[in-house]
Amino acid sequence: MSRVDVAEVSKRYGSVKALDRVSLYFLDGEFFGLLGPSGSGKTTLLRAIAGFVEPDEGAISFDGERVESVPVHRRAIGMVFQNYALFPNLDVEGNIAFGLAVRGTSLAERQVRVEEMLRLVRLTGLGARKPRELSGGQQQRVALARALVTRPKVLLLDEPLGALDRRLRQEMQVELKEIQRKSGVTTIFVTHDQEEALTLSDRIAIIDQGRVVQVGAPVDVYERPSTVFAAQFLGDANIFRGQRSADALLLDDGARLTAPGTSSTVIVRPEKMLVFKRGEIPPADLSNLLPGRILQSIYSGASIAYRIATGPRDQIILTFAQNRQGELLHPGSEVTVAWSPAHTVSVAT
Amino acid sequence: MATSLAHWLTRTYLAVILLFLYLPIAVMILMAFNASPLYEFPFEFDLIWFKALLKNEKLMTAGFNSIGIALANTVVATVLGTLGSLGLNRYEFRGRQLLEILLLPPITIPWLIIGTSMLIFFFWTGIGRGLHSILLGHVALSIPYVMIVVGSRLKTHGASLEEAAATLGANPWQAFWRVTLPALSPSIVAAALFAFAVSFDQFVISYFLAPPGTSTLPVEIYTSIRKGFTPEINAISTVIILVSMGLMLLVARQYRFGGER
Amino acid sequence: MPGLVARQTRAAIALTAPAYLWLALTIFLPLSAMAYFSFLDVAPIGGRESHFTLSHYIAFFTKEVYWRNAWRSFELGFYVTLLCLIFGYPAAHILAKHIHGRWREALFLLVILPFWSNALVRTFSWTMVLRGELGLLFTYWAIVIGLVHAYLPYAILTCYISLQSIDDSLIEAARSLGASPLQAFLRVTLPLSIPGLLAAVILIFVPVIGSFMEPRILGGKSAIMLGPIIENQFTAVFNWPLGAALSFLMLGIVLVFLLAASPILRRHWQ
Repeated sequence: MSRVDVAEVSKRYGSVKALDRVSLYFLDGEFFGLLGPSGSGKTTLLRAIAGFVEPDEGAISFDGERVESVPVHRRAIGMVFQNYALFPNLDVEGNIAFGLAVRGTSLAERQVRVEEMLRLVRLTGLGARKPRELSGGQQQRVALARALVTRPKVLLLDEPLGALDRRLRQEMQVELKEIQRKSGVTTIFVTHDQEEALTLSDRIAIIDQGRVVQVGAPVDVYERPSTVFAAQFLGDANIFRGQRSADALLLDDGARLTAPGTSSTVIVRPEKMLVFKRGEIPPADLSNLLPGRILQSIYSGASIAYRIATGPRDQIILTFAQNRQGELLHPGSEVTVAWSPAHTVSVAT
Repeated sequence: MATSLAHWLTRTYLAVILLFLYLPIAVMILMAFNASPLYEFPFEFDLIWFKALLKNEKLMTAGFNSIGIALANTVVATVLGTLGSLGLNRYEFRGRQLLEILLLPPITIPWLIIGTSMLIFFFWTGIGRGLHSILLGHVALSIPYVMIVVGSRLKTHGASLEEAAATLGANPWQAFWRVTLPALSPSIVAAALFAFAVSFDQFVISYFLAPPGTSTLPVEIYTSIRKGFTPEINAISTVIILVSMGLMLLVARQYRFGGER
Repeated sequence: MPGLVARQTRAAIALTAPAYLWLALTIFLPLSAMAYFSFLDVAPIGGRESHFTLSHYIAFFTKEVYWRNAWRSFELGFYVTLLCLIFGYPAAHILAKHIHGRWREALFLLVILPFWSNALVRTFSWTMVLRGELGLLFTYWAIVIGLVHAYLPYAILTCYISLQSIDDSLIEAARSLGASPLQAFLRVTLPLSIPGLLAAVILIFVPVIGSFMEPRILGGKSAIMLGPIIENQFTAVFNWPLGAALSFLMLGIVLVFLLAASPILRRHWQ
């Protein structure tokens, strides 16, 4: 269980900057998510921490000790690959025991620890199966057990749930979190799925084009994104641009929004907006109001989303709400969208 | 109606093609068991030519030479080719493409040219003709095939297994023995069988590099044919054909069962 | 920090060196030696003095026996390749598109098997068939038959691989857009199978023009072509420099051929 420090790490491939002076720290025992679109550099960063990629500049340390020149097999890490990379010629026990076998651990101890692992990932009794006889979810658990049995300092997960179907993913998310909590190992995982990043992580970092866009706890990053990119990548966002005047933002159609902060760009999350029929009066605390016309209603049973056109240039706003009343407004209806200034977030452009 | 006609036509066409491919072989095998020394009918089953074969010292020695060279070739070419393929496919370095392209000349250049150039070079440098030169030539022809067979396996199953082994603490040597080699073994076996077939069947190179007196089986058969054949040629040819085809069947099964998943 | 890169390069060199050194010794150096010899008047062996000359190369273009027979070799290559494609492509198409399951694999294996048997023995087996009443032995067409027999599986193999990789849904899409089966074949299947056809052409044409064993065994006296002529220089006439020059000319023609085909190949092959 180690703290990992990444300081000013850069990596270039030809003319492309895969990592551009990335600095992050990962606390001992935390579950950290690296989130970003493909090609953002998140996997490169993970592989740099693993040792497969050598940074051009910068330092990577485990508990204060620099590791850039330490080869992969001496870094005491554990890694789960996207395709699991289970050894086809070994059975489940053989796979899990591999890390112990190459260290010369005695047969007796190996058996004990493998059993322990099988119990942890709930695969007891399947020790003699070959990887190709296992389902996707089972293979994933073997890969996890294999990585954890050596009690690594850091656990690295490369899109660990990517190959699973939706239901299995949700099950595995819960299990993964549970296993990590029990083992207490510092875990860094890479994903492009924002929901996964939010539900699993203690903290997340949004990476784009080799740079860290924002770091923080999921709540902070989601409710207070620092840039438009962060706002749009993690969830949906309605963007408003205009002229700042003290505490307000003046949109070019004359509408006035109360927006704390100093930026001339603000975002509002769809679920923070409520939709009222024209003529109804919204509660006083939802003092930001915009008139609009419904373009599309998206009914998903438990929730309803609307696409609403507002303003002289028909800017599209997306709203999202739980379906409490069971009432659906139809396209063409004139409505008023209302939300609180507290949810109007200033962002850098 | 149209589909069953098409069905019939396509099957017949294939049957004709197969007939064409197997007819001469079948005739030859038939004649090998025919008592008549002049290939005349009526057909009389007899193993006389196979027995005469065993007494034909020249053919027997040539046969042992062929097998010996083929075995040596298999070992050398498989080892060199597998190592070379690993180097080519598991490491990043400049010049990789060039090295891959260099595998093409031995396969695409007509054997006539390769054989004669080897003859020139070996004679000139004093290596001379002989079984050792033949082995040198056979290995040269086999290496590209081994590298391609093993290489294609290495390419499709990327480096993730070795990477996983490294994360688990295995140094490169351990990773090689415990992970790479076992995963690669079906392809290595297939490549080895390939190499054996390439060497055993090789005629042109052996022809140019064989010294007077000693030779390999194909060369010996050729000389006998040119002189006017003895029916033992039929017998030995039958044996060779059956062995070659048997080997290829083995390769095919290996490649499918162990190779691709 | 070049540590990782340097280690990788060292390891790669260590692993590939043995194989490539062997190839250098047995293929690349000999080819260079042959190039050198082709410019000498006599072979510098047995203490003989050699002098630079272009006479062998010039002889190829001036002496009719050489260029005429080189042409005959090309003719042979052309006929054999054409016949292999004419008969092989349909077979490949049937195998790839009309037969399924176990039958397909079994038939495919049956087709490929003779190809991997001993070429010499196969050629010899044709003498059994062609002698006697057919009277075809020792004619030009015997050579053609023997060579087509030898290389037909090659054509079927490459065309099959190419055809098999064409997704059936492409044909279905064409049909749904109104194309008749023939149109779908001409507009979709055929163009997409060009890599296979090209590969077959190269893999057949090149060895055929360099063959001497099949012509000699099956053609007897009609086997006057470049291959046997070159072979003669080394085994009967012992004019190695001439043989070397003729070999290099043949090699040059093969290279020109390959270079002409390579842009098309590179475009269609991944």
